[in-house]
Amino acid sequence: MSDFSLEEMLRRDPRNEWIARNRLHPLHDTVLSAEQGERRGPSGLLRKDPHLVGFIGPNGIKRIDRADVFSSVGAELAGKKRSTEAKAVSLPWHIVENPAGYIMVVADMVGGRLTRHDKDILGLAHQLATEKAAVAVVLVCFGESKETQFDLAGVDRLIHLAGQEFNGFAPEARLAALEQIETQFYPDYWLFPDSVNGGADLASRLAARLGERPATQAWQVNGTQTLCRGASSSVDIRRATPRILMLLEECADAIDSTRHQALPLQIKPLAALKKSNGSSKMLDRGMIDVDASAVPLAEAEFILSAGNGIHNWNQFHAAAAALGATEGASRVAVDDGFMPRERQVGASGTWVTARVYLAVGISGAIQHMQGIGQCDKVVAINTDAGCDMVKRADLAVIADSDAVLAELTKLANAFMASKQQTSSKQGEKSDAA
Amino acid sequence: MMLDWLVPTLISVLLVLASIGAVRRINLWRAGQAEKVNMLAGLLAMPKRYLHDLHHVVDRDKYISRTHVVTGGGFVLAMVLVVCVHLFGVDSKILAWALLAALVMMFCGALFVYKRRINPPSRLSKGPWMRLPKSLLTFSITFFVLTLPAVGVLPEGFGGWLLTLVLSVLILMSLSEMLFGMTWGGPMKHAFAGALHLAFHRRPERFGGGRSTGLKPVDFGVGVSAKEVHGVAKPTDFKWNQLLGFDACVQCGRCEAVCPAFAAGQPLNPKKLIQDMVVGFAGGTDENYAGNPYPGIDLGHAKGEPNQIITDGLIHPDTLWSCTTCRACVEECPMMIEHVDAIVDMRRFLTLEKGETPNKGAQVLENIIATDNPNGYAPASRTHWAADQNLPVMKDVKQADVLFWVSDGAFDMRSQRILRAFVKLMKAANVDAAILGDEELDSGDVARRLGDDATFQSLAKRNLATLSTYQFNKIVTTDPHAFHCLKNEYGDFGSDALQNVEVLHHTMFLNRLVKDGLLQLEPFKGGKVTYHDPCYLGRYNGEYEAPRELLASLGIDVAEMERSKFRSRCCGGGGGAPITDIPGERRIADMRMEDVVSTGASMVAVGCQQCTAMLEGVVEPRPVVRDIAEILVGQLVEATSISVKEEVVHE
Amino acid sequence: MPPNINVVSLVSIGRHPQSGRARRAEQDGRAVELGLTMVGEALTVLHAGNPQNPVLRQYAGMGLPSLTVLDQASSCDAVSVLLRYLRKNPTDIVLTGVRAERGESSGMLPYLLAEQLGWPLVPKVAEIVSVQDGKADVLLALPRGQRRSVQVSLPFIATIDNAAPEARQSAFGPGSRALFSIQKGDNLADDAFMEWKISPAKPRPKRLKVVKAKTAADRMKAATAKPVGGGGKIMKQESPEEKAQAIFDLLLEEKVIR
Ligand SMILES: Cc1cc2nc3c(=O)[nH]c(=O)nc-3n(C[C@H](O)[C@H](O)[C@H](O)COP(=O)(O)OP(=O)(O)OC[C@H]3O[C@@H](n4cnc5c(N)ncnc54)[C@H](O)[C@@H]3O)c2cc1C
Ligand code: SF4
Ligand code: SF4
Repeated sequence: MSDFSLEEMLRRDPRNEWIARNRLHPLHDTVLSAEQGERRGPSGLLRKDPHLVGFIGPNGIKRIDRADVFSSVGAELAGKKRSTEAKAVSLPWHIVENPAGYIMVVADMVGGRLTRHDKDILGLAHQLATEKAAVAVVLVCFGESKETQFDLAGVDRLIHLAGQEFNGFAPEARLAALEQIETQFYPDYWLFPDSVNGGADLASRLAARLGERPATQAWQVNGTQTLCRGASSSVDIRRATPRILMLLEECADAIDSTRHQALPLQIKPLAALKKSNGSSKMLDRGMIDVDASAVPLAEAEFILSAGNGIHNWNQFHAAAAALGATEGASRVAVDDGFMPRERQVGASGTWVTARVYLAVGISGAIQHMQGIGQCDKVVAINTDAGCDMVKRADLAVIADSDAVLAELTKLANAFMASKQQTSSKQGEKSDAA
Repeated sequence: MMLDWLVPTLISVLLVLASIGAVRRINLWRAGQAEKVNMLAGLLAMPKRYLHDLHHVVDRDKYISRTHVVTGGGFVLAMVLVVCVHLFGVDSKILAWALLAALVMMFCGALFVYKRRINPPSRLSKGPWMRLPKSLLTFSITFFVLTLPAVGVLPEGFGGWLLTLVLSVLILMSLSEMLFGMTWGGPMKHAFAGALHLAFHRRPERFGGGRSTGLKPVDFGVGVSAKEVHGVAKPTDFKWNQLLGFDACVQCGRCEAVCPAFAAGQPLNPKKLIQDMVVGFAGGTDENYAGNPYPGIDLGHAKGEPNQIITDGLIHPDTLWSCTTCRACVEECPMMIEHVDAIVDMRRFLTLEKGETPNKGAQVLENIIATDNPNGYAPASRTHWAADQNLPVMKDVKQADVLFWVSDGAFDMRSQRILRAFVKLMKAANVDAAILGDEELDSGDVARRLGDDATFQSLAKRNLATLSTYQFNKIVTTDPHAFHCLKNEYGDFGSDALQNVEVLHHTMFLNRLVKDGLLQLEPFKGGKVTYHDPCYLGRYNGEYEAPRELLASLGIDVAEMERSKFRSRCCGGGGGAPITDIPGERRIADMRMEDVVSTGASMVAVGCQQCTAMLEGVVEPRPVVRDIAEILVGQLVEATSISVKEEVVHE
Repeated sequence: MPPNINVVSLVSIGRHPQSGRARRAEQDGRAVELGLTMVGEALTVLHAGNPQNPVLRQYAGMGLPSLTVLDQASSCDAVSVLLRYLRKNPTDIVLTGVRAERGESSGMLPYLLAEQLGWPLVPKVAEIVSVQDGKADVLLALPRGQRRSVQVSLPFIATIDNAAPEARQSAFGPGSRALFSIQKGDNLADDAFMEWKISPAKPRPKRLKVVKAKTAADRMKAATAKPVGGGGKIMKQESPEEKAQAIFDLLLEEKVIR
C-alpha cells in the first residue's frame, strides 16, 4: 500500500535521508512531507524535531505545509497511523485525583467496544463535568469488553461488570447493579445512549425505579437546561436538566485531545441481585440465528439487489451468501420468476432502509427508486453508465455483473477465511448485547 | 285429430310453466335492494332501446347483428302468431301466411347461428348454448310444418300418427327451450331478462347516445341504520335491477375478449364474473358454466347462495382486485351490463367492511386519509414543483378564467414534466390561469376505485368546499382520472361549486387554443407516432378527437393501433390495479407496449400521467412515451425568439 | 395459543410524520394487531384520553367490537389512571408501543406501569411465540433484523417494535359501528410538562467530519474537502478486480461486512 509503512520507518533509510538533504531530488518533497515533524532516533525512539516542520520551497525559503498538499495518498494513510500513535504518547493527561462527584455513563458497548454514540456521550459527560470541580466521568459497562482505548475516550473511572449474569439480555441484573451504584456513589448524572442497543431500555428501567423523570432524545445539554426531541422528533422540548438523561448520537463531540486514567472503581457486592437470582421473571434464551437471507427486506441493513441485468442467478445467490447480504430484486426480476415477490424493492414492493444498497443490473426506474429513497449508500453495478441508478449511486462501477460479482464473492470468501483464522486463534466468543 | 288439441295444450302448458318460471325469476331479482326506476317510461322506451342502442353495440359484429335481427325478430313475430293461430285458433289465412314468413325468417337466421356455432371463437360459451341453434331450427321447422295445413298447402290430418308423434316431440323440445327455458334459466333467458333489463336499466342515461360512467355514491347518510353493511357482501345486496342485468348476459364473451386483465392472465374474466353473479343470486355452483374460467382458477368449485357472502366461496377477492376499471367490457357488452359497478360494489364491502384491500392498498388509503395524497407526501409540499413557475394561486387572486387542477402528479417528478409543459403552453397562449396550490387535495379517484367511498366522499366534499370559494369559468386538468371525478362524480354531493363551470381535459383545452390560433406550432419532424387513448378520457368521457386533432395540427399522421378509440386497451394503470397488483402471467402495460410496437411507431403519445408511468415502466428498448403537452411544447414557436426551440425528445 | 388469557393493548393518538395529522400510531397499531392475533375479539383495547377523538375509530376499524376509553383531557397524565384500570381488571399481558408519536415521546409509560405493578417488561418485542403455563416465549427485535428469544412470566408488559407484524387495515364500517365503553379518567395534570417550552424541531447540525482539526488550516481543509466516498464516484476503466475491491472497501467502511 505505502512505501512508508511503519516497519520501514523503524529502520533508518539512508537513501531517504539523502533525498531529504538534497532538495533538488525529485522525491525530495514527498520524503520530507512524509517524515514531517518526527524522526526516529538511532535507538528507534521517536524524536520530535521542530526544525523539521515544513520544507524548503523552490526559492529556498522554508515553508510550512499545513494543508498537507504534498503528501501522497499512501503517505497520508501511513501518516495518520503514525500520528494517532504519536498522540497516544503525547496527549495531555486529564487527571481526577479525588473525585467529589461522579457522572455515570452507561455504555452500549455493541460487540464489546465503545460505539460512536457511547463516545459522544462521554464527551458530553466531560462538558457537564467541567461545571463542577473534581467530577469524575465513570463508564459503566457490562459483559465482555474488547475495548482498549477507554483512556482516549474520556473514561476517568471504569466500572466494568463482567459477570456472567450481565451477559446478553439481563435487564434485571443490570438494573440491580445500577441501583447499587446509585446508592454507593449517588452520581450527579446518569447518562445513557438513547439507542436501540439497550441504552434506552436500561435508562427507562432505572428512571422508573428511582422515580426520576428522565430526559429522552436529548441533544443539547448543559448543567441547567436540556433540549429534547419529542413528538416523533417533530418538536424540541426545552426543560431543566434532570439527573437521568438519554442522549441522541452527536449530542457532543467525542473526547480526542486528552488522556484519561480509566481507573477501575469497585462496587460492593450486589445484594439485590443475589436475592432475585433464580426467581428472575425474564430468562434470556439467547440469540436466534437469523440468516441474512431471511431478514425481512424492510429491516435489512445491507441489500444485494438483482435486476434484469443478472444472467447468472446461482452466482448472484452465492455472492449474497458470501457477503452476508439480504437479497432484493427489481420488479422485472420478480416478474420473470427469478426472485420471490416478497423480495421486490420499490413502489409496489418494499420500501427499504438499508445502510448499503448494492444494485446489480438495475436501471433505476422511478418506481424502483422510490423504494430506496431512505438508503444511506447506494452502489451500482451496471453496464450502462447513463442509467439512473448510476446517477443516484455513491459508487458506481460500469461493468458486467458476472465479472464483478465473481470478484466480490472471492474477496468476501477470502475475508471470511482470514477472519475465521484470527478468531479461532484468539478463541474469541462474541455476544452482541 | 290429435294435433288439434295437442298443440294448443302443449303451448298453453308451457306458457303456464313459463309464467311460473317468470314469477320465480322475478322474485329472485326482487330479493335485491330497492332502487327507484320509472317502470312505465322504461317499458315504453324498451323497444327503442333494443332497436337503437343495443343494436348499435351488437352491430360492431355485423355477422351476429344481422343474424340476431333476423332470428330474434322472426322468433318474436312467430311466437305471437303461434299463439294466435295455434292456441286461440284464429282462422285467418293472412295470419298463417305471416306466421310462415316469420318462421322462414327465423329459420334463415337460425342457420347463421348454427354456422357460427360450428367452429365458435373461444370467447363464446358452449354447453346449452351449443344446443340453441338446433332448438331454433327445430322450432321454425316444426311450426312451419304445423302451419302448412292452416294455409291449405297441406291437407288437414296429413302424415298420419307417425308424423303427429314426431311433431309433438319436436314441439315439446323446441317449446321447452324457447318458453320454459326462457324463464327457468336456459339460454333464452337472455331475451326475457334482457328485455326487462333494457327497460329498467340503472343508467337510463346511457340510451340514446348518452354517457353515464360515474360510480354511484354509497349512502352514509342519516337514514342508514347503524347496522347496515356498506358495499355488496351478498348477492342480495345488489340493487334488484343489477341482478336483473346479470341475468341478461348472453355469454357472448365480448367482454372477455377485450378485458386486459383476462389477457394478462390475471384471475378475472368479466363474463364468468357476471355468470357467477347469476349463480350467486339463483343459488348453485358454476359446474354448468361452459365458457373460459378465470385464468388460473379451475371451474366447478364456486358455490353461491343469495345470502352467502360472495367472497366466501363464490368469487376470490383477487378476481375483483384484478380489474383496472377500464370499462372496455361495459363498452363492448351488447346487453349493456355494468361490470364495473358490480366490481366496485363488491370492492366496497372488502375495503369498507373487511379492511382487506390487498397489497399496497391499505397503505395508500391510509396515506390518503392522513395526507390527502396516495404516497403520503407532506401536504405542504404539493406546490413545490411550481416554485419556478410563477403561477397565481387562487388563495391570492380569488378568480381566474381557468383553474388548473394539478392533481397528485404534483408530487411525481415524471408527471411534473407534463405539468410544466402544460403551464408553458398556457403561458404562451396568455391564458388567465391559477392553481389551488396546497389547497388542492387528491381527487379521490384511487380511493373510490379501491372501494373506499367514505374517503372519496370526504375528499370530494372538501375539494368542492374549496372550489366554491373561488370564481372561474373552466377547470382544466392533465389527469383524466381527476377529470372524470370532477366532471362525472362530484355532482352527487349537492354543491354548486362546479355549476356553470366547464370541466376540460388539457388536450381538449389545448385543442381550442390551437384552433383559436393562440399557439404557434412548428410541424413535428420526428418518426412515426401512435396515440394511446386513456380509458378515463376515452371510454369514460368520449373524448377521442381532441388529442388526435392536436397531433394532426403538428402534421402528425397518427399510426393507429389496432385497438384504439373506444376499443383502446388499458395501460393497466386504472382502478388502483398497480396498487393492488394482482399477479398474472404478463403485465398489461407490456401488452399495450406490444400494440404500440406493432404500429412501427417510435413514439407513443398519451394524455395521462398514469399511462405515461405505466408505459415507461416497460423495460427498454421501447418507443418513447410522451404526453401530448410535452410534444406540443417541443414544437412551440415562442412569440419573442422564434428560433428558440426545445428538443422534443429529451434523451 | 390459549384464548383464556387477558390481553390489553394500550393505544394512543399517533401523528403522521409528513402531515402531522392525528392517525393510528404505528406501534400501537401493531400492539393491537398482536393482541388480535393472540386472543381475537377478547382483546381489550384501552385508551386514556378524549373518547371523541376520531382516531379511535381507526383502531376500532381493525375489527374491535368495542374499545375502552378512560375519559380525561389528553394533556393529563395517563399512568395513574391506567394503573388503576390494570389493578382492577385481571390482566395477563399488556401490549404498548415503544414510544408515543405525540407529546414527550419518552417511552416511559410502559416502564412506569411495570415498575408500579411489579411486572416484568420485555422491550421491543417482534413476536409472542407462545403462552403456556404462566410463561410466554417472546422474540425481541434487535437491530439488523436479529432476534433474541426471551421467556417471561405472566403477567407482563411488552413494548411492540416496528419489526412486529404490521397493523391490519382499518375498515370504515366496523370502525364506525364499534361501541365505546367510557369510564371516568383522572384529570391529573402533568405539571412538569406544562412548564416545558415546546417549539418546532430545529434542524440539528450534522457532525462535521471526524477529522481532528488542530490548526486553522486543518479546519479549513476539513470544511472544504469533498466528503470521502460521497458525490457519486464512477469507475469505468479499472479492471474487475479493482472495481470489486472498491466496492468491498466501501462495504467494510460501512461496517456491513463483519
Ligand atoms: C405502477 C408501477 C409500479 C412499479 N413498481 C416497481 C417496483 O416496486 N419495483 C421495481 O423494481 N420496479 C417497479 N416497476 C417497474 C419499473 O418501472 C421498471 O420496469 C423496473 O424497475 C425495471 O427493472 P430493472 O431495472 O431490473 O430492468 P431494466 O430496466 O431492464 O434494467 C436492467 C439494467 O441492467 C443493466 N444490465 C444489463 N445487462 C447487464 C450486465 N450483464 N451486467 C450489468 N448490468 C447489466 C442494463 O444496463 C439496465 O440498466 C413498476 C412499474 C410500474 C408501472
Ligand atoms: S373494466 Fe376492464 S379490467 Fe375490469 S373487467 Fe372490464 S374489461 Fe376487465
Ligand atoms: S357480460 Fe355482456 S359482453 Fe360479457 S358475455 Fe355477458 S353479454 Fe357478453
